[in-house]
Amino acid sequence: MKTTRVFQITALLLVIVSVIQVGWWVYDQHDYSTQKLRDARAGDAREVAAAQTLLDAGIPAAQVQGLLPAVTLTNGHATLSAIVDAALVEERNRRTNQYTWESGFFLLALALCIGVIWRALRAETQILQEQDSFLALVSHQFKTPLASLQLSLETMAKRPLSPEQSRTLIARMLADLTRMESMVSRILDSVRLERGRVDLKSEPVDLAAAVGRVVTQFEERARQEHIELTTDVPRGLAVLADSLAVDVVVRNLLENALASVAAVSGGSVTFAARAANGDVELSVRDSGVGFRADDGARLFKKFSRLHPGGGSSYYGTGLGLFIVRLTGGRVSAESRGVGQGAQFVLSWPAAPGQSV
Amino acid sequence: MAGGAGAERVSTAQASPVRTLVVEDDPHLAAGLAENLRAEGYHVDTASDGRLGLEWLRENSCELVVLDVMLPHMDGFTLCRTLRAAGNNTPVLFLTARGDPQDRVLGLEAGGDDYLAKPFHLEEFLLRVRAILRRWEWYRKASATPQSAVLRFGGNEVDFRAFRARSWNGAAQELTEKEAMILKVLAERPGEIVSREDLLERVWGYDVFPSTRTVDNFILRLRKRFERDPANPQHFLTVWGVGYRFLIEGES
Repeated sequence: MKTTRVFQITALLLVIVSVIQVGWWVYDQHDYSTQKLRDARAGDAREVAAAQTLLDAGIPAAQVQGLLPAVTLTNGHATLSAIVDAALVEERNRRTNQYTWESGFFLLALALCIGVIWRALRAETQILQEQDSFLALVSHQFKTPLASLQLSLETMAKRPLSPEQSRTLIARMLADLTRMESMVSRILDSVRLERGRVDLKSEPVDLAAAVGRVVTQFEERARQEHIELTTDVPRGLAVLADSLAVDVVVRNLLENALASVAAVSGGSVTFAARAANGDVELSVRDSGVGFRADDGARLFKKFSRLHPGGGSSYYGTGLGLFIVRLTGGRVSAESRGVGQGAQFVLSWPAAPGQSV
Repeated sequence: MAGGAGAERVSTAQASPVRTLVVEDDPHLAAGLAENLRAEGYHVDTASDGRLGLEWLRENSCELVVLDVMLPHMDGFTLCRTLRAAGNNTPVLFLTARGDPQDRVLGLEAGGDDYLAKPFHLEEFLLRVRAILRRWEWYRKASATPQSAVLRFGGNEVDFRAFRARSWNGAAQELTEKEAMILKVLAERPGEIVSREDLLERVWGYDVFPSTRTVDNFILRLRKRFERDPANPQHFLTVWGVGYRFLIEGES
């Protein structure tokens, strides 16, 4: 903010000084040319006067014309040749024009430079602001599981606990660690993908295997949260994509669905896949909180977290669905409204050579 | 509403365990806080979002609310302000992941009694809970008898239990809990000098506020409510460099 303000003032001063300077150049050149024109005309006038004196002295016109070629002699009168005077005026105008054009071009180039620097500066400022809000968000996201971990540990240190109570606390702490671990990997995913550090490959990926890998990691959590997790992905369906990106996307969509179902205390999440028009579509349907139709566009924005009530939920990083968008492939989301569940559909080109 | 809540508190305080409400959306943290408060002998209810918390508080009364700031549906500051606007003076301990001083001031301005940043130490949390309850215990006891529940000075009449007052010009006043507490501390020792630090300690507890200036602001508010000429106080006198002196009869 401060840098841009300084730049604005500097650029404004630069433009003002340049315009004044350029205006002065043009005026100075015009003035100089006019002065030269006046001098030349004075010289010409002297020639005309000399010619007239010679004529009056009786020297033949042909001889006078030979001495002073710029003078026109008609019937014993000497006048300045119209062509010579026009050439002088032309010369002055040419100079003035040349300087006006050059100055205009100079100012235009200056404006372009300022524009380019301004854009770069603005982009820079925006990145800085994004990083600031990112840091604030990340620290906030980590503080809750950290507080929970600390509370559990200090409870264990402070109070005599039954084995059952200890088990509950340990399970809670492990879950807090899992939350933090998942946040770290999401943040790293988004940073890497956003900076383009990951070269996304285009290789055949077995969709059933990819979904299976991810689902296995979340079965335990789904069971604890009373969520029925089913997959209906036909074997042999392969897509053309980056296998790591597919894992990340499927994981993020599944985590999103689980959080949305957990918020309504249980329900179901279903994966299904089908081939369609040379593409393969993977859908994730959940019976969770859903979203309002007008919020659909916000879902995939960075740091955007929706809450069924319309406020923001403080679970999640607001990065999961944003990452989905970054990994290539197409994704769409639909919900009949709050409380009506949601369906996310991903599509990739089908890998060639498979039986569809 | 304020009168009813105040009277109830007085009648139930002795017999049953102290009732508390934990409003926290993180299930682990909510469970951990509830377990620890129960282990300390408090009765605990929990609410998982701001709206549920407010609903609970409208239908029930308790002696302490542990209130998370970032909550779904309604944030903790809004909840606390809504509560205070409705005349509910239940003490509030804010918990938040944002620990900057600005946020702290915001919380106390919203009517909070204390403010704890996440992550926090269990011992400190329990200490602050005890401190808030102790201050209220003192306030209730000091307002328990018919004589001590009402203060009359210079044509003003203050009802400490109802947090209401009628000022010299007949205007009805709703006192905030802090204003009532400050008045109580001063009225307990009429004519004596009470230091700012003393007021801070008795009304807010230890390091909640960064400066004693806050006390001055509250005294200014009390003067506006009860002095005929706030610029020329007769009852709430400043003792330069030390604190304040409260006079029932007025200075003259």
